[in-house]
Amino acid sequence: MSFQEVVFYVLSAIVLYSGLRVVTAKNPVHAALFLVLAFFSAAGHWLLMQAEFLAIALVLVYVGAVMVLFLFVVMMLDINFEKLHEGFWRHLPLAGTVAVIMIVEMVMVLLSPSADLSSMNEIAPLAEGMSNVRELGLQIYTTYLLPFELAAVLLLLAIVAAIALTMRKRKDTKYIDPAVQVRVQRADRVRVLKMDAEPRANADTDNNESAA
Amino acid sequence: MSWADLNLMPALPEIFLLTALSVILVLDLFLSDAKRGITYGLTLLTLLGCAVLTLTTWVPYPETTFSGMFVDDPVSDLAKIGLYIAVAVTLVYTRQYADNHGIFKGEYYTLTLFSLLGMMVMVSSSHFLTLYIGLELLSLALYALIALKRDSTPALEAAMKYFVLGALASGMLLYGMSMLYGATGSLFLVEVANDIASGQANSMLVVFGIVFVVAGLAFKLGAVPFHMWVPDVYHGSPTAITLMIGAAPKIAAMVFVWRILAQGLGAAVADWQMMLVVLAVLSMALGNITAIAQTNLKRMFAYSTVSHMGFLLVGILAGTEAGYTAALFYILVYVLMSLAGFGILLLLSRAGFDCETLDDLKGLNQKNSWYALLMLFAMFSMAGIPPLAGFYAKFAVLKAAVDVGLVWLAVVGVVFSLVGAFYYLRVVKCMYFDEPNDEPVPAARPDMKLVLSLNAVALLVLGVVPDSLLTLCVDAMKQSLSVVAGA
Amino acid sequence: MLTLTHYLVLGAILFAISVLGILLNRKNVIVLLMAIELMLLAVNYNFIAFSKYLSDTGGQIFVFFILTVAAAESAIGLAIMVGLFRNLRTISVEDLGSLKG
Repeated sequence: MSFQEVVFYVLSAIVLYSGLRVVTAKNPVHAALFLVLAFFSAAGHWLLMQAEFLAIALVLVYVGAVMVLFLFVVMMLDINFEKLHEGFWRHLPLAGTVAVIMIVEMVMVLLSPSADLSSMNEIAPLAEGMSNVRELGLQIYTTYLLPFELAAVLLLLAIVAAIALTMRKRKDTKYIDPAVQVRVQRADRVRVLKMDAEPRANADTDNNESAA
Repeated sequence: MSWADLNLMPALPEIFLLTALSVILVLDLFLSDAKRGITYGLTLLTLLGCAVLTLTTWVPYPETTFSGMFVDDPVSDLAKIGLYIAVAVTLVYTRQYADNHGIFKGEYYTLTLFSLLGMMVMVSSSHFLTLYIGLELLSLALYALIALKRDSTPALEAAMKYFVLGALASGMLLYGMSMLYGATGSLFLVEVANDIASGQANSMLVVFGIVFVVAGLAFKLGAVPFHMWVPDVYHGSPTAITLMIGAAPKIAAMVFVWRILAQGLGAAVADWQMMLVVLAVLSMALGNITAIAQTNLKRMFAYSTVSHMGFLLVGILAGTEAGYTAALFYILVYVLMSLAGFGILLLLSRAGFDCETLDDLKGLNQKNSWYALLMLFAMFSMAGIPPLAGFYAKFAVLKAAVDVGLVWLAVVGVVFSLVGAFYYLRVVKCMYFDEPNDEPVPAARPDMKLVLSLNAVALLVLGVVPDSLLTLCVDAMKQSLSVVAGA
Repeated sequence: MLTLTHYLVLGAILFAISVLGILLNRKNVIVLLMAIELMLLAVNYNFIAFSKYLSDTGGQIFVFFILTVAAAESAIGLAIMVGLFRNLRTISVEDLGSLKG
């Protein structure tokens, strides 16, 4: 067994185990953390396939942003974990059977001789001086210009939708407006009054009373 | 590819829409709630502008641009005109409803335009990636639109359900696409089609991919056994959004299915035909039978949608040009029918009251005979009673099935459309022969009354002269398919 | 030697696990969202493996876009979930009796 195969099998074991834990975990926080582990190992697999750019994007974008968002939401909401797990064991026999049948069938199709994947057994080495990032970048900004623009629209949509769904302006909240604060003049806050000086009367007795 | 080579003309309506959308998005921020009507007016103007651009750039042959990822052919142009009309009519119908139900916000209009852009991309894509992104643009906008009524628990619940099942469907579709990509080595529909036709593709992987693609498409269409989200989402959403989901997106979905199955996988028709037959029979049967048991009109329309999707699949699964034409005609007529049906429900709703059960329609004839007549047109058309447009639509798809030797399927279709006639006629009976309840008929905006009348009368006119629309569909389909076959 | 089949089988098993997750956690929306992420991961495996073994960059670019779309999708999904939680104080789908399928 070559070194690459060892790495492949170790990473596969981690991906599959953490994948299973994601869907069976009692606590959503654990599920999210196992998903992070699954993504990390997947990134390892993608590196094995020499898809460096995507492997790094997976870690940076997925683990760095999306999973953190998940964790934030899980921790922000006060969820009764026990209650969410009810009915889990009731569904298990059926769901387990479906999953096992799916695995057996899909694997049988992929391994069957008629699928004949043996013609594609080797990863062709990249041309000299050509990196994975360069290769993808050249395509994304030329051939894939339209999807690239549309992806931007999709992100704009996500911004609009997420804000529309979650931002609430409460009328009773006291806001601070920095612009107003900066523009404040001395005249707005301090008023100097001209008052006639008055003679001090019984100052000593006043002081004594307040001290007492 | 350089910028000079980039021909933007075919994508002009999309570019205009995106620009207008961005302008409306920003402009709306500066409008007070009282002036929200401006956003509404601008949105309708945008649709008009798109329609003008689509009509002026109409060419009777397919044009591709963006490295062949975007195709502007007569089918997509016809579908886009249908989309503009459907969205515009939806907005006119929902203007008052939105105001009464607290969703008359700028986001309502911008999200609608986002979903329209997604639909336009869906009908004009010739590459798996653009198809997928168009679909997601549409779906994400719809999820958000449902949840826009933030204090309504049923709406949020419907949004969540739609979201989870929609994402599952996308996952299946993507898995299928990945297999087709592996089998053919390309993501362009034309190349996939050529590879399969010439036998170079790995046939096992093609079939494997088709299974997942068909399952994903069935989910999106709401065909049995992947229909469980349809009644819940139709029921839980505010009626305005139900119409938004139930009208325009169906046109986009039909063209989407046609692009993938007919243009991409046309050579593998034998592989997907049987799967579609099963989906079609189950949808027609379960949709029509379950609809009988519903007393909530929104749920009834949901099951009726399921059965109509079954009929649509009958047209597509014929796998012939006539079949695709019939499906295109069917979906355009179907959208007109559901606009009219939901239009009446929206018309009869007011603040704090949703007209959505059968009882709410009781004795409508005594209260307002014109509204009752319009609803009667919609119901008769959905039931497929001549001389309304729905009859010709059903006739065309069943004829396409008979022509390819699926006589038994056509018989099944006829039987279940008779079963379906029962619950449509029950609505009519309710309006004409039951004692009226004491709900008053709310006053409607004049523009809504006018458009609704035109909408329902169009069903009658299209029923009397179906050739007017049918010829358009036939020509569009012929011109779009002929060149693809030669490409 | 690592072949295409290795990766495809791994993708298939991951896909099945995510379907298992969707069937198992019908009540638990947040784990449902994670199961969907897992499903997309399985799809990504397929695309990258095919892309590399076919020497065609299209598949990898597809993955790039799937990652983008999935990020947008989870943002909206979480927003809906937060809204649901605000109204109900729970995210368990079965507590929601108003809609029955």
